[in-house]
Amino acid sequence: MNLSINGQPVAADVPGSTTLLELLRDTLALTGTKRACDIGECGACTVLVDGRPIYACLTLAHACEGQSVRTIEGLGAPGTPHALQDAFVAEDAAQCGFCTPGQLMAAAALLAENADPSDAEVIAALSGNLCRCGTYPKIVRAVRRAATTLRTATDG
Amino acid sequence: MADASKPGAAKGRFVTTTVEVEGRTEQRVVEMPAFEPEPWGADAQLTHVGARALRTDGALKTTGHPGYTTDIRRANQAYAAIVRATVPRGRITAVDLGAARALPGVLDVLIAADVPARTRLFNAEITYTGQPIAAVCAITQEIADAAARLVRAAVESLPFAVTVEQALESGPVRPRIENNLVGGKPLVLERGDVAQALAAADVTITREVRTPCALHSAMEPHCAVAEWDGDHLTVWESTQGIYRVRDNVAKALGIPLTNVRVICEAMGGGFGAKNFAGPHTYIAAIFAQRLGRAVACTVDRLGEQIDTGNRPSSWQRITLGATRDGRLTAIDLEARIPIGVGGAEGGPGGIYHELYACPNVRTRETSAFVNTAAMAAFRAPGHAEGSVGLEIAMNTLARELGIDPLELRMRNFATRDQKKDRPYTGNRLAECYEEGARRIGWHGREATKAAVIKAAATNSAGSRGAHLKRGYGVAAQVWSTGGGPPCYCNIRFNNDGTADVMAGSQDLGTGTRTILAQVAAEALGHTLSGVRAVIGDTASAPFAGNSWGSMTVASLAPAVRMAAEDARRSLLDAAAGLLGVSAADLETRDGRVMVRDTDRSLSFAEVTAKLGNVMIQGQGSRGPNPQDAGIVTTGAQFAEIEVDTETGVVRVLRIVAVHDAGRIVNPTLAESQLEGGIIQGLGFALFEERRLDARFGMPLNVGLHEYKVPTHADMPLIDGHFLDGADPKANHVGVRGIAEPAIIPTAPAIAGAVADALGVEVNELPMTPWRVLGALRGD
Repeated sequence: MNLSINGQPVAADVPGSTTLLELLRDTLALTGTKRACDIGECGACTVLVDGRPIYACLTLAHACEGQSVRTIEGLGAPGTPHALQDAFVAEDAAQCGFCTPGQLMAAAALLAENADPSDAEVIAALSGNLCRCGTYPKIVRAVRRAATTLRTATDG
Repeated sequence: MADASKPGAAKGRFVTTTVEVEGRTEQRVVEMPAFEPEPWGADAQLTHVGARALRTDGALKTTGHPGYTTDIRRANQAYAAIVRATVPRGRITAVDLGAARALPGVLDVLIAADVPARTRLFNAEITYTGQPIAAVCAITQEIADAAARLVRAAVESLPFAVTVEQALESGPVRPRIENNLVGGKPLVLERGDVAQALAAADVTITREVRTPCALHSAMEPHCAVAEWDGDHLTVWESTQGIYRVRDNVAKALGIPLTNVRVICEAMGGGFGAKNFAGPHTYIAAIFAQRLGRAVACTVDRLGEQIDTGNRPSSWQRITLGATRDGRLTAIDLEARIPIGVGGAEGGPGGIYHELYACPNVRTRETSAFVNTAAMAAFRAPGHAEGSVGLEIAMNTLARELGIDPLELRMRNFATRDQKKDRPYTGNRLAECYEEGARRIGWHGREATKAAVIKAAATNSAGSRGAHLKRGYGVAAQVWSTGGGPPCYCNIRFNNDGTADVMAGSQDLGTGTRTILAQVAAEALGHTLSGVRAVIGDTASAPFAGNSWGSMTVASLAPAVRMAAEDARRSLLDAAAGLLGVSAADLETRDGRVMVRDTDRSLSFAEVTAKLGNVMIQGQGSRGPNPQDAGIVTTGAQFAEIEVDTETGVVRVLRIVAVHDAGRIVNPTLAESQLEGGIIQGLGFALFEERRLDARFGMPLNVGLHEYKVPTHADMPLIDGHFLDGADPKANHVGVRGIAEPAIIPTAPAIAGAVADALGVEVNELPMTPWRVLGALRGD
């Protein structure tokens, strides 16, 4: 099968039963996307497929044939972070950090559609992403902070 | 620098001292530090300590690769899966591994006969649903999971007990016990004479309260990756205690400690469930040895929720006696706790002896072994449950006496550590009450409630809102947070002037790395970026204890500071030679050594570069706590809630939390932990409950969908605040802990607010809609 991951073409030979999460983590060693429940209950494996946030654990790899997948590795790296990643650090929106990549990808999908979300809109967009450390209030602040940064950059 | 208040100061280097861990008191031998720095008092002028420094590993966490165990990918790594019992009690008569072995990609299978007895793996006697009975290993996790489903065990079912009542009437529910009571009998602790005090009390009230079994539900499941190199074993483990895992593994496998290295670079949450090596650890190590390749054993979410620990449920009957003017004269608790097959930790009784001043207190806890998975410490084990019962009873007493519930608490403020009849090093709970009341608007709450009702009545949308009732509640907490020895830190300067701070601790997500760097930078006079904490590896750092009991910072920070002072002395000696002055004329700031009252200085990098590979080092250790005073974190939380009397849904609008935790090393990280505790407490109050089918002894709601942890949508406004100050009597950094104190008062404050809104009490948690509606109906 062929797909694009973080802008790079990828050819993979995996069984039909392989999930997108297994393809990313086990075949391609893109372990930034987390496996926490593996049954679509927690959101830790959220990635973008053609811009839409999906649970990689519930998506078959072959269903992504020809599609464009974006993972946390494609959002930004330590030296070249996305505004959302900067904002999560600035607001201390990651404690243990295990849910963070999923929260970030869900937030990235939101900001792509809505450049100026309200608190309620952020909460609605991220409610499928569980956090056990209790970073929710700071995540909402971080997403809105990043939205402001991105709007300013666009306006500027 | 001898201090008469320190035990054994004049007696010798190794002394026995008392420390408190998770509410338990333990005796330990400690080594007296070679020197103790002068305490940093509340007015100390500090640069890095107290600053809102950003997490040093924030960039790694937000890009997904801080080094979690579940992300380890060793060359040729294989994957294990655990086969679990599906009945609560029975005896395995046969295990059929044929189909599992035959699956392409399966490498190996383990049953009881294959493992050292000391691992206690795969016992033929099943004592709870979810108990590991076999394990399989394959080239991928998918294949391992599929193979695990193909294992068939023949099991002779046996009678079981899952409630305290059943356990009291049953023979032993597991091997190695004579009866089902933990400790063989109920645990009764009494001071004064409760029976007499209740008989003489002006007023008495009694309440029965139930708290649920709660699951830790960390996002990263338990996981170990094991790899052998000859007879040396490296284990990557998602753990709260690398040294404890090392000890557990060496003992279980019968190998020397020096042959075991445990690494935890980053971990995705623990909350008490990751304090020890577990079946997954031993399974990974044994497979890895048999197969000669690295093996990962990750507990799947089902296993995580049914077999990695829980906060056991409790039934509490509380009787309070008081004078007419609201002085407590007697506290009596009868409690029943089904703890599972093991894992006993502090019960709900502890807080009854501590939180309020009262001369007569009796607690009687009947903790029973039952055929459910073992409990584990879960953030403030015992106190989180006990505070629900105690605080609901206090609210009842306040109504009975016609006294404001906050006023009743202030009248019963405990100025002393009543358990040990000694003062506290500090306890500013009274200030917490006052500051919290101001922030929530406690004294204007009746006016707010009236305004809400009036607004609903005049709402143009008709009656919308008339069924919404507003309520306010308050609760307090006390938790021992002094930390203690043993605990060590080594600091070394590299010859570019950077410093490595090495301690055998680990960062659960609390920010340990950042805190240690801040303390070291402060004591060295370094920049924060010039200091790096090296933790999470038993091979590189001296011993530090588990990250449990809210004791990491209070244990480690003094050791780090001492190591830094030690290293700084050597650095100044070296710089004095280079500058041709006396070390006494030197000071350090922002990574520079400066000659006092001159403009002459050298950067740390210049000093260390001139030394080449002559290494500047420092050693620090944690001295014992004062024995003549209790060290606690206290605090008060206030809840403002809205309850819908038609649907029974409770919505928390606001939580105000004010705690006295001594010096706060990093307010941002402390607030994050405080919010985390409050949010877990909110879940405990409203949503979280592992339900059991009592007929079959099976947990029913074990996923993250059916077992409801709080989500973004459930968040109240949280106003978390710490009193300014420091506790230099506790230790020379002036710090205490905060992780567990954060969760204790949240649920009882919410329960108080629900009762305030409804005029009836909901005395069983979680306060689900059906329980709220039941209480309204008078069920």
